[in-house]
Amino acid sequence: MNPRHLSIIAKKEFRGLLNERTILLAVLLQLFIAMFSSFLMVGLTSMYDPSSLSKYSRFRYSIAYTGNDSALLEYLENSPDFNVYGMELSPAVAALKERKLAAVIYMPDTAPDAVDPVKITLYTLQNDLQSAIVNVKLRDIFLNYEKDLRTIRGARLTEQPLPLQVPARRSGGDFYEFVYGLLIPLLVFMPAIIASALVIDLITEEYQHETLETLISTPITFSEMVWGKVLACELLVPVQAGAWLFLLMVNGIAIENVPSILLQVTLTSFLLILLGALTALHYRERTAAQFIFSTALVVVILFTLALPANPLNLLTRLAVGTAGMEQWIVLAGVIGSGALLSVATQHYAEKIGREHHTG
Amino acid sequence: MGAIADITTIARWEVKRTVTQMSRATLPLAIVLFLLLILVTGFAAKSGMHLQDGMYEAGVDDPAIARLLASDNRFSVYLLDTETLGQNRQAFDIVIIEGQVLGSGSERGKSAIKTVERDYAKYTNRVYNQQDDLFAAYPLWIDLQSVKSELDFLATQSGQYISARPGAMAPVPEGEVRTIPTPSATLAISREELRKELAKSEAANSQISRYTEMLSSSDSPTGRFKTPSQLSPPLPFDSIILIFVFIFPLYFTSQFFMMSIMNERIERKGEVLLSTPVRAGSIITGKALPYLAGMLAISAALTVYLRASLLIMLPLIPVIFFFLANALIIGMVSRSFKELSFISIFFSTVATSYLFFPSIFANVHVISLISPLTLIILTLQGTAYTAGDYLFSTSLFWITSAVLFFVAVTNFKDERLFSESSLIPRILGFIEESMSKKHPFFSTFLLNGFAIPFVFMVQLMCLVLFFNLPMPYSLILLLVFAAGIEELVKSIGIFVLYAQDPAFLSWKNLVFACAATAVGFLAGEKLLLLITLSQITESVFGSILFLSLGMLYLPLLLHFAGVFVVACALKFGGRKWFVPGIFAATAIHCLYNLYFILGWLR
Repeated sequence: MNPRHLSIIAKKEFRGLLNERTILLAVLLQLFIAMFSSFLMVGLTSMYDPSSLSKYSRFRYSIAYTGNDSALLEYLENSPDFNVYGMELSPAVAALKERKLAAVIYMPDTAPDAVDPVKITLYTLQNDLQSAIVNVKLRDIFLNYEKDLRTIRGARLTEQPLPLQVPARRSGGDFYEFVYGLLIPLLVFMPAIIASALVIDLITEEYQHETLETLISTPITFSEMVWGKVLACELLVPVQAGAWLFLLMVNGIAIENVPSILLQVTLTSFLLILLGALTALHYRERTAAQFIFSTALVVVILFTLALPANPLNLLTRLAVGTAGMEQWIVLAGVIGSGALLSVATQHYAEKIGREHHTG
Repeated sequence: MGAIADITTIARWEVKRTVTQMSRATLPLAIVLFLLLILVTGFAAKSGMHLQDGMYEAGVDDPAIARLLASDNRFSVYLLDTETLGQNRQAFDIVIIEGQVLGSGSERGKSAIKTVERDYAKYTNRVYNQQDDLFAAYPLWIDLQSVKSELDFLATQSGQYISARPGAMAPVPEGEVRTIPTPSATLAISREELRKELAKSEAANSQISRYTEMLSSSDSPTGRFKTPSQLSPPLPFDSIILIFVFIFPLYFTSQFFMMSIMNERIERKGEVLLSTPVRAGSIITGKALPYLAGMLAISAALTVYLRASLLIMLPLIPVIFFFLANALIIGMVSRSFKELSFISIFFSTVATSYLFFPSIFANVHVISLISPLTLIILTLQGTAYTAGDYLFSTSLFWITSAVLFFVAVTNFKDERLFSESSLIPRILGFIEESMSKKHPFFSTFLLNGFAIPFVFMVQLMCLVLFFNLPMPYSLILLLVFAAGIEELVKSIGIFVLYAQDPAFLSWKNLVFACAATAVGFLAGEKLLLLITLSQITESVFGSILFLSLGMLYLPLLLHFAGVFVVACALKFGGRKWFVPGIFAATAIHCLYNLYFILGWLR
């Protein structure tokens, strides 16, 4: 195998990508996803943890308390989030409809130690972002009241859970798991999937555009052609994954072990790219190859995710900085399977190359 | 009659070709892979997803609590004695000493505390759920009643506070006060049913719902009655998963359609077909028909399998047409397989975002209605929607699909299909082909009129994107982007005319073309708004997007001025000055909007 031949093929593919400006689309796509995930995060935070948006936390919501007196009223009056007015139910709901109130609470005449539960009726506005926020704020107060009631009725319980004191809710940390446990592994791994789909395109194109004969008539052998294409796709992976990490870091997300992450992704993507190349060599036609490959990919990824200490999990652990020795074991496993697949690809490509020369 | 015969013949060919091609080599392997998929899904369901294992490190001094934590494999748990733990607190994300949870203060520590909190809540629920006296364990129930506001939703959308500033006195309603019956003090559901629902929400705590827990503390059971811990905005998670089940086959099928179109173009294979007397429209319809039928069949089968109402199909059909239309255009535009891959990945990401993300807010905000998928969620939840809602969320899909099909049909001929120029000239060529050479001004008018649905789609996307930024920034960004998009789209017609023949832009023609553009754009805006968008237009955001509707002559002048600037830039500077021209036009557009919305210049 001649390294110069490999680089000729790889360069040819890169030139193709640049000429078509398809690479621009890939960059655009990356920016777009980055924008949308930040939309998702800000949007969801503001919905489910309103205190994270200072705009909402400064505001006191007016609510009406109707029905019978209870300890809940005291909690509400002491809360910095609410202004409580004692009102009659009907005018209160009418005021709610006119948006003069944010919520109306009705408290029935049930004793705290009664056999039956205390059933509060809570009126809020339908389909409204701020109702959602008020609900979240009321929830904490209701939880405190529920705890009190539970203590009052405690003698009726046969088993108490293990006591555990969790510090009071503070802001921050809401989207840590989303970012590190889902977004980062998926985004960083996406280039690997794109690269393996790309290698199928590159190989089947030679067959379907009937440019293969010309290529083989040059001193470049068939297997060198395959490996050159694999190389071109492989080189794209660390670049794209690096761009993701860079974008995330620009957004203020601290990521540890960047070199190890890139190493892991690059080597894992090698497996996928070889799988793609083998599929493409077998089918020599894009529709079938892509169909089989994407189905196989779903199977492989699902299976991998179900295994403990899988490469994707390793990306998460590397990014948060809790990966230990096991990262090298996973890496060794990936390199081992990569070597096996390489041998298989080489044999298969040589066999096809001989067919082309004789036939 | 001839056309129908042609269409059926071509559809039959298409099916035959696909079936023979597939069955030869692909089908056996596909079946094997499908079986493997079922096996692996079973395995994954049993063993769980191990994506987040070992994210946190926890130090614990109590074996019982260590067992509790270790059941969640996000934690690596270290059991140490109290003293060592106290000394090495900083080595862990959290430590639990004598029943007290202490975080490390970092983001990871805070997140770990929240995870412990949720795990602990789940554990206590499990304990309480087994109590004989359910109402001692769950003494407080909340009956959530939604009240429909008599004001429209524009107050919150414009970022204002809904309720008035709190005063010392209780607010007095201005309108009529209708008597609300006193709510009953008892739950309408039996104790056993409640227990069942509690157990259900506990059982839903699978590996998948971990991702929802980040958002809401637990899945709310179907009932109206909730315990306080269930009082979070309901995230329609199951329905969202279902939506993926519906959309995914559509992607797959449209990929096949895309490839089928592309295959006709490779090495001019489709020349035979084009040389027959069959019309382009019939060829395209015939080729699309099997895929359309396939998509409809898959969706219907899924609906029946899920025992959902067939009404789901109603919002799905425009989405199917939209996918087919885009697949057709992508198959006709791309020159190589890699270009096809990239464009189709790009399209599917953008389309998924447009369809999927708004639907997350299905229960919270009206903005979610811009996606037809929200209607599917609503149908699955059993919530009714009006014909107006349907028109609002699907009309853009219907119109854009129709326009794309039209463009495809007019361009389905030798010189377009087999040309080797690159992407943007190709797309411009497609537009050029769709415009009549004899009536350049009338086609400019039509082009701009029909560009409106696309402009609205992009602008709505921007609205969704910017909606969550803090108030002044979201407005400013929306202002600039909305203006920029409009100016860009308006200039396309002029650019195509210029590219055809630079000499065409004499002063007289230039003014006529600009006028045609402005009138076409305005007419399109007016018409589309008449059909649909009243919901969004009433908010401040809407007034930026659709400001030009209040009066007629001013927006007409504005549209004219914008495109005139670009046209002049082209006439004097050539292509180099096209982009700066658009920037100048955008600036003018922004100033105009500012003048009317915020009165800054007044």
